[in-house]
Order: sequence, then C-alpha cells, then structure tokens
Amino acid sequence: MTPCTVTTGFFTLGKCGVMAVAGCPACGRPLCASHITESGLCPECAAARNQVGHPAAAAAYRRRAHRHRTAAQYQDAGWYAGFDSYDRAAFDPGAGAQQDYLDDGNDALVDS
Amino acid sequence: MADGHRAAYLAFDRFPSSKGSAVHIRHMAAELFDRYDGGLLCVLGGGGLPAYQREGNVEIVRFDAVVPNLLDRAEAFSAWAAEQLAPHRDSLELCHVRDPWGALPALDTGARLVYEANGLPSIELPYAWPLAAPTTLGKIRELERHCLTEAAAVVVPSYVIRRAVIDRGAAPDSVHLVPNGADPAPAGVPRPEAAPGRYLIYVGALQPWQGVDVLLRAFARLADLTDLSLVVCSSVSANRARPLRRLAERLEIADRVRWHHMLPHAQVAAWLTHAELSVAPLTATPRNLEQGCSPIKVWESMAAGTAVVASDLPVIREVLGDLGRLVPPDRPAELARAIRVMLEYPDACRDLGRRARRHIEDGFTWHHARNRLAAVYETVAGH
Repeated sequence: MTPCTVTTGFFTLGKCGVMAVAGCPACGRPLCASHITESGLCPECAAARNQVGHPAAAAAYRRRAHRHRTAAQYQDAGWYAGFDSYDRAAFDPGAGAQQDYLDDGNDALVDS
Repeated sequence: MADGHRAAYLAFDRFPSSKGSAVHIRHMAAELFDRYDGGLLCVLGGGGLPAYQREGNVEIVRFDAVVPNLLDRAEAFSAWAAEQLAPHRDSLELCHVRDPWGALPALDTGARLVYEANGLPSIELPYAWPLAAPTTLGKIRELERHCLTEAAAVVVPSYVIRRAVIDRGAAPDSVHLVPNGADPAPAGVPRPEAAPGRYLIYVGALQPWQGVDVLLRAFARLADLTDLSLVVCSSVSANRARPLRRLAERLEIADRVRWHHMLPHAQVAAWLTHAELSVAPLTATPRNLEQGCSPIKVWESMAAGTAVVASDLPVIREVLGDLGRLVPPDRPAELARAIRVMLEYPDACRDLGRRARRHIEDGFTWHHARNRLAAVYETVAGH
C-alpha cells in the first residue's frame, strides 16, 4: 500500500497515511481520496494556484441546494430525515468494516 | 433532446460492473427504455467510465464526484440526480429506482415511481459500516418507508423481500414479484483453458453474508479428494479477497483454490458450465432471512445446467425448489458431506443440472423477467 503523504494535523503534524489512490500531477506525491482537490492536485499545489477548496465542496453545495429546494413542504423526506454529523461519522472512509475495501469504490449498497 | 425523456432509471450503483446488480440493471433498464423509446440512465461512474454517453435514444450520465463519506456521497448523488432530471420534468412519465437516494429526486419530479427493492440499505449497511448507530439506521429506514409508501409500484425478486417492504409501509397490492432470471448458457461453450480437471465453483461477491468462509472450511474437509479444486469467480477485486485468501492458507488449501476476479460475464458462464457442482453457501443472517435476496449465482448455475448445493434458506428454496441439494447454513461439515455425496453420484448430479436448466428455460429467463416487469409498467401506466 502506498500511503498518502499530505501533511495533516493542527498542532501535532503528521502524514495522512490513508491508502493513496492517485498522485498529484504537479509534485507527484501520492494522494488519498479525501486529499485530491477538485483540480486533481494536492492541497498545497492547488493552494499555490489559488484553487483552494475541499474536493467534496461542489457536491456539498449541490446537496445544500437540493435540501433547500426539497424542504418547501412539511412532508419532504429531505427535510425531516436529515442526517447530522453523528450519523455521517460512521460512514467516513476509515470507519468501514474492511479497510481493504477502501480502494475498491464500495459504492454499491446492495447486491443480488 | 428537444422533447425531454419520458422515462428515467436511477441507481446508486456503478454501471456497468461485474456484480449481479449490474446484470439486473442491464435487463430492467432495457425493458424500460424499450417501452418508452429511450430514456435517461443515472448511475455511479468512476473506474474510467465516461461521465456521459448517448446510445441511440438512451442518455447515460454517471456521477463521478469524489466524496469520501458514503452518506455524503449518497446525498450528493440524490442532489446530482435531481439536477439531471430537472430538464425532463415536463415530459417524465415514469422513474424506475433501486434505492432511497434515487427515489427522493424521482419523487420530486411528480412522475410515477417504480421502486425495485432488491435490498434495503437499513439492513445491509451495518455489515460494511459497523459503526452506524441504530438511530442512523432508523432514519434510513424512515426514508425507505417514505419512498416505498409513495411508489406507484414496488418490484421485488422474492417473497422474503416482499414481506420486508410491506413491513416498511408498501401497500400489499402495489408489490409485484418479478423473480430474477438467467439466460441459458449456449450449447457447446468451450471449457476455459485455465480450468483444472474437476472443480467446484463459487460465483459472486465476497461479503460476509455470502458464506465463502463456510465453503472454504467445507472444502478443507475434502482434502482426500486430491483431484478436486475450488474455483472462486469473485465479482469484486483481489483486495477484497485478502482475508479469505489468508483463511485458505491457514486451512492449508491455498494451492487447491483458484481465484478469478471480475471476469466478464460471458466467461463466467463457461466456468459454470464445466464445473462439477456450483455452491451457494449463503449464511443465516438478517440480510438473507429478514431482507431476502434472489441470488443471481443460483439462477445462472441452473441456467448453465450445473447442479447446485446451497444453504437451506427460504430465499434459496424459492429459487431452487427440489432442483438442487439444500444443506443447513453455516455448517461446513454438513456442506462438505453434501458435496461428497453429490460427487459420488455424477449421473444424478447431471440429471439435476438438466432439470434445473429446463426449469429456467420454461419460465425464468431474463426474457420472462422482462415480460413480468412490462406487465407492472402496464399496470402503473394504466392508473
């Protein structure tokens, strides 16, 4: 496994270490799924080009817009079944049963 | 598209892929698009699949945003799908979905909804995500209830799932049974070059509920049959097989187990056809007992004319009936004994395979499944 070498941490810094899925086209360092920026660069190279932003930012923007649109009625499922950060934490990449699954796009919810 | 699509199929699944779900999507979506003269297919991309394709009157759009958290990804997919459907709001008549995240944006369009329930995320998710809290699963269950209640028709592949969706609020008369199917393997399909002399075969994914570990333990009890190999045709990548490969090493059977990963569907048929037996060792877990399934591996083994040894579960009995050998689930010794007995009587085995194949040809090919689905569309459109 090639670990992601993006520096993480606020006070105590370290390397991310999650399995890399791509390399930064500019500096070549290995990157995990959560450290690829929208432009495909590592966060540092992206920042150097003034392209800051989390990779999930565009999706999060769309999600917010969708919730806003679908929350017009009291009955809307998008409104009343909203998941909070506690719900979401259990589905972070590191929280899966099998870490080996990480590189495999464990997207499918169900399988016949 | 000047006039907009009349039908859409949404799935939070990568398509195409080598999993059983992709085979299912292929046939169900084909029926929908045949009926409505094209349509919009919204699925997951990644893995080098193009984000956009146009095939005749069918448009395929794939969601390929990198969103690490699964729940975030599911919701982002919902929002993205809503954007894809928006230009077709005025013309959409029917949306066919497989999960709540496809159903929510589809409901928003006002088109009639056909919800194909092959599985329920509130039951399956905890296997891959054990930290998911009961309250979170409760919210997902609530989403399922909302979507199933609002659907004009719910399509299920087995009676066990039928019970589960009615339990979640679907009106009993809106639930239609459309069993999975399989197309009989063509006669004279050549033996795969890499095939060992005599082999048992397992085809499918490697989640814990599939019971591949039970099969490995059973196979270890057949060590005296030195000419017998076990072929595992996994629909997922080699990485996911690592724990099972380690188990095979511990059981000292690693040299007799052949692993093939993500083989194209056509090649799997050849492997199935030339196997002595096909094994479906599903375990007695809530996923199989409460939610239910309709395992494509069993359908395809029957279609290949290969005798099946499978766990004695209601979902298997529904498919296999008396056309295979049933053994208690999660019992390696019982499974090994059943395999041994079947191998002792090759004529009976072949006869079982032939009868199973005829059963499929007579009523359970994908053509039959598509006709049953067409009848559901007819009912929905007629209302």
